[in-house]
Amino acid sequence: MPDIAQPSPSRVLVVGATGFIGSRLTAALARDPAWHPIAAARRASRQSDVEVVTCDATDPAAMTRALAGVEYAVNCIAGSDATMVAATRTLCDAARRSGLRRLVHLSSMAVYGAATGLVTESAPAVAPVSGYGVAKQETERLVQEYGQDGGQAAILRPGCVYGPGSEQWTGRIARLLRAGRLGDLGADGDGICNLTYVDDLVTAIRACLTQDEAVGETFNVAMADPPDWNGYLVRFARALGATPVHRLSGRQLRLESKLAAPALKLAAIGTRVARLPVRMPDAITPSLAALMRQDIRLDVSKAAQRLGLGETSLDWGIASSVRWVDRMRGDSDPHAETPRETRAQ
Amino acid sequence: MIGDARRIVRDTVLTAEICIIGGGAAGITLALALRDCGLRVLLLESGGLQEHAPTQALYEGEVADELLHSPTDKYRQRRFGGSTTIWGGRCVPFDPIDFDARPWMPHSGWPISYETVARWYPAANELVEAGTFDYDARTARSGGMRPMIDGFAPAEFDVDRIERFSCPTDFAGRYRHRLERSGSVRVLLHANVTKLQAERDGARISHAQVQTLDGGRFLVEADQFVVATGGLETPRLLLASNDVHAAGIGNGNDLLGRFYMCHIAGTLGTLRLNDTKVWHGYDRAEDGTYCRRRMALTEDAQHAHALGNLVFRLHHPRIPDPAHRTGALSAIYLAKNLISYEYGKRLAGEGPTSAGMWLRHVGNLVTDPFGAAGFLAHWVRHRTLAARKFPSVIIRPRANLFSLDFHGEQAPLPDSRVRLGTATDALGMPRIHVDWRYSPLDVRTVSTGFALLRQEFAESGLGTLSLDPHEADIEAMVRRDGAYGGHHIGTARMGDSPATGVVDGNGKVFGVNNLFLAGSAVFPTSSQANPTLTIVATALRLADHLRNRAAVPAEVTTRPPALVESDA
Repeated sequence: MPDIAQPSPSRVLVVGATGFIGSRLTAALARDPAWHPIAAARRASRQSDVEVVTCDATDPAAMTRALAGVEYAVNCIAGSDATMVAATRTLCDAARRSGLRRLVHLSSMAVYGAATGLVTESAPAVAPVSGYGVAKQETERLVQEYGQDGGQAAILRPGCVYGPGSEQWTGRIARLLRAGRLGDLGADGDGICNLTYVDDLVTAIRACLTQDEAVGETFNVAMADPPDWNGYLVRFARALGATPVHRLSGRQLRLESKLAAPALKLAAIGTRVARLPVRMPDAITPSLAALMRQDIRLDVSKAAQRLGLGETSLDWGIASSVRWVDRMRGDSDPHAETPRETRAQ
Repeated sequence: MIGDARRIVRDTVLTAEICIIGGGAAGITLALALRDCGLRVLLLESGGLQEHAPTQALYEGEVADELLHSPTDKYRQRRFGGSTTIWGGRCVPFDPIDFDARPWMPHSGWPISYETVARWYPAANELVEAGTFDYDARTARSGGMRPMIDGFAPAEFDVDRIERFSCPTDFAGRYRHRLERSGSVRVLLHANVTKLQAERDGARISHAQVQTLDGGRFLVEADQFVVATGGLETPRLLLASNDVHAAGIGNGNDLLGRFYMCHIAGTLGTLRLNDTKVWHGYDRAEDGTYCRRRMALTEDAQHAHALGNLVFRLHHPRIPDPAHRTGALSAIYLAKNLISYEYGKRLAGEGPTSAGMWLRHVGNLVTDPFGAAGFLAHWVRHRTLAARKFPSVIIRPRANLFSLDFHGEQAPLPDSRVRLGTATDALGMPRIHVDWRYSPLDVRTVSTGFALLRQEFAESGLGTLSLDPHEADIEAMVRRDGAYGGHHIGTARMGDSPATGVVDGNGKVFGVNNLFLAGSAVFPTSSQANPTLTIVATALRLADHLRNRAAVPAEVTTRPPALVESDA
């Protein structure tokens, strides 16, 4: 366990360090003298003040090299479902052969599939589970095997991770709100929006790195008192100035998810094949539409008790999201923001 | 969960901690608010998910004067969602003065304060989907709403008061899925309560008798019953349950069914404005709600002139009169047969359309085709296709020529009443007989209010208000629309004691320990405000009371705790 008084900081490898959560985590660790983060990524990172190891996470030899002399690792790998699983397998295999002290693995609430109600970490998955959710289940299984083989591992299941840098739950949502394609969804937005502010997730990851109670455990990480989707969308829209907030009918949403989304997907494939430098409009996929109706609420009491989480308020999280979105409109670099200190409220 | 009463085996006895009768604005609000609080709730709704003619026909009744009151199966819907399936969505809170005992307003004064109801308005506003609870034009939208008439600052009217609009939200469509997935609330559709059975001493309701139109029959036993069937059906059910209480339940002092109020409302006068900027349409708050200014008679003015509560809205000229020369208005007039009874009633004009009138409307359409086409395009896009609907017809008349919409409080009169009629419905229940009356005070509220406003315009120099061409007979103007649109109020009024009310301040029927009434039936006075928002707010308050009552073991019930579902 790192100690402030300790002269040499603990070396922690962040796998997927150029991604949204990985970069935020790396930057936070770099500002803490107790840690020496090493950013593992396929491409060189722009974070010049951080040690970088270029490695393909699915390449066993490269991963073994990256883990040399490292005490901790955090698996923030993103990518296709197959890549996530392959990278996690490679990481666990390499970790077995290295002197790694602890692995923190990022999973997702997607593992619960269509479950409803208050969901604890031991709740069974309910079909249908998305391809992403199935892949995350598989990565969890690999990490648990690593734990059973004697390794120390902790698994986090965040909800919708939002805030500066979040393309999926901040950038995309902001564009859809501004286009009037999302807003108040009525009965279609009554699902619970299990938001996780990115810095709260970073706090949880750091708690797992340092606290021994986390070993062998899995934790939901989200707001304790989440809004419903309408609540999130309307507050975010108002903060963005995307007003008056649109009210969407069920019919509009069905057109979006059943007609527009498949068409956009085909068009995206077309532009990729033709190598057209076109940014496609965002799609409201059937899975997003289903999520916004899903009455699932993550029970975060275990993380709150064992990891001692703070929680960024929704107002603060949205205000910080809006600042990021506004900066992004004049700046194409999604990770240009200087991360602030994680703050607990 | 939501089930069908027609599948309940005959003579079954169902039990619940709380039985709610009626699934309209009040009943659904109660059920939503009582979810997951450890109480088993059973909501009995007569209708189904769609309109069903034989069920709707159970609403038919007799009306003493058909010119003054619409047929009793109009303006209300006997189906899940109740009349929220057809309402216009106008939301306005009651005013503090509405709760006061006013010497000039007979039988006025509520046994509860404005604040006890107002506490529930923000949550009610959210449920009806009318956005933030802010009814002040200066703050309802950032930067304030635009002025209605530039420079018009009358002393006796508040021009910063607004109305906000619900989508309009159909409570069944919007909230059905929340009730469907609730483990503690059970909704039974097609369940008609035809009698409340009082125990021998009359102090408690033992069960409700339920019938279905296909001949089914069963009983519901509950610790608490709430009747939430609206201002006409509530007295009907209580009056018809007359075996133990000979005059009907809660009618020991002959108050039940009396004091029946709607609103005094209609369109009046001609306002000719000079070269001033006018905005009589809607603004949208950031939350998306349509908001509109109104001119409200101040509380001071009501005191000074001994008048009821009253508001005016700036309105386009009366549609049936082709003198407005506005294509869009004539188009609406010519299409009036396509408009539902509830919304088309005011287009009827004074008599049948003469050929000359018809030709003049066609003439307006021909000379103003773009006005009509533009209106139609806006209507289709922002009303027909929109999920949050543009609330009403707003047409800028040619020239600064307007009329005034008025919506005023009706004084409670003992002789304005709902009784049981002689005929019975398909389930053997007596039909209602409605004898709606208005009083000279109602007419004076509008005529004096109008005169005050006329004076304000004259003093402002901004324009002239006249009653032309109806100067001679303002009463005819006030009466023209009769009992206005579906606001059925006061028939089971709230009072301090059994001598003045059917229910107490909590909505509990005097003399019956486990019977509560919800909805506008219990409002002792009618306000200037449309009732739905206050129906929802008072239903939330009642739900809170029922929760608290159930939490006090001494008061609750004889039921063993094992039958109470756990909070977990």
